[in-house]
Amino acid sequence: MKKELQAYLDGELSKDELPSELRAEADSWDRLLADVQATVTSEAPVDLRESVRAALAARGTRSAGRRAVDWALRPRTVRISPLAGLAAAAALALFIVWQSGGPPTPATLDTEATVYIQFALEAPSARSVAVAGDFNGWAPAVELSDLDGDGVWTGRVAVEPGIYQYMFVIDDSEWRTDPNAERYADDGFGDRNAVVVVAPPPASS
Amino acid sequence: MPSLDRSVRAESATAGDGRPSDADVVHAVLNGDRDAYTVLVQRYQEALYRHAEQMTGRPDVASEIVQSALVKGYEKLDGCRDADRVGAWLFRIAANQTKDYLKDRRRRDVPLQEAEPLSRDVDPEGDAERGELGDRIRAALARLTPAERQAFVLKHVEGYSYEEMAELLGASVGALKMRVHRAREALQPLLEVYR
Repeated sequence: MKKELQAYLDGELSKDELPSELRAEADSWDRLLADVQATVTSEAPVDLRESVRAALAARGTRSAGRRAVDWALRPRTVRISPLAGLAAAAALALFIVWQSGGPPTPATLDTEATVYIQFALEAPSARSVAVAGDFNGWAPAVELSDLDGDGVWTGRVAVEPGIYQYMFVIDDSEWRTDPNAERYADDGFGDRNAVVVVAPPPASS
Repeated sequence: MPSLDRSVRAESATAGDGRPSDADVVHAVLNGDRDAYTVLVQRYQEALYRHAEQMTGRPDVASEIVQSALVKGYEKLDGCRDADRVGAWLFRIAANQTKDYLKDRRRRDVPLQEAEPLSRDVDPEGDAERGELGDRIRAALARLTPAERQAFVLKHVEGYSYEEMAELLGASVGALKMRVHRAREALQPLLEVYR
């Protein structure tokens, strides 16, 4: 093969820089290489990601027992720098829902609006998902649901405006940090809690 | 040319699209957020799989190699010196495991044979006789040595520059050019179809 043609195929010469007698052969190579590309391209199996996730999960999960002891023995404190902006977190997996009006509930008796944090976690292989945070004393009592079976678990919790830390609890045993939270805080045990900021409701006019 | 999200080129932080950079994800994992690693899995599994599948010719083996490489990458992530280039780092892990597989297979099946065929269920001679273009291309690639096939595929299928390939494979640009040139020479008979 001519050196100039090798240089063209190596991307070192443009077609215009080739001697005219080599351009037809360069065109042939372009068509052949396009067919090579179409022939050998392959896609990863759809279950590859899940099999990697399962292999990683098999390499150890956090101890529920240790965490339970930790709750009892170590009070949680929020030590976070000032945070601003809910919009980015809402765009991912966590939404602040302002419910104005509607029938009064115990939480609405003293305020004009109830603030909810709505949680969402993609966990297709989970049998149950709960959320625990400093809004409920770190008890995994708030069960999320996956009614349509699409692997996304959702649920919401009524809270007062403030800054909250939380984690998900998978199958009553595995503590999982929300991968989509905008902020995180060191939990003091070598792990991280997700953080959500719930701003006060806008002043009504 | 593959799109960036299908290659192992670095995923950079962008202010507006909300996608974390590779370095952000690596730091999250190293700080204990195990689930953040799935972002890297999703980002790079296709490129790693394609390479393994093209090198071994066996989808089942390629899946095992990629799974093993990604798990090893997770376990050794603190050894990744440049978090912005974790994709290239994962690629090298997978490429080394692929090489180990091919060496092991050669020891067992085809000792000292320079031009190792793919183990995919193809018969190069039979494919050539059938004359179907895709089969002929696969047969021609199967006759390359693993090193030539790897260099050719990275250059002409994945669209890497020689400099990028040198970084991924730890070989010199000159050596890689030579492998690609040899591969093209081997494919030259196919050019008749396109004249």
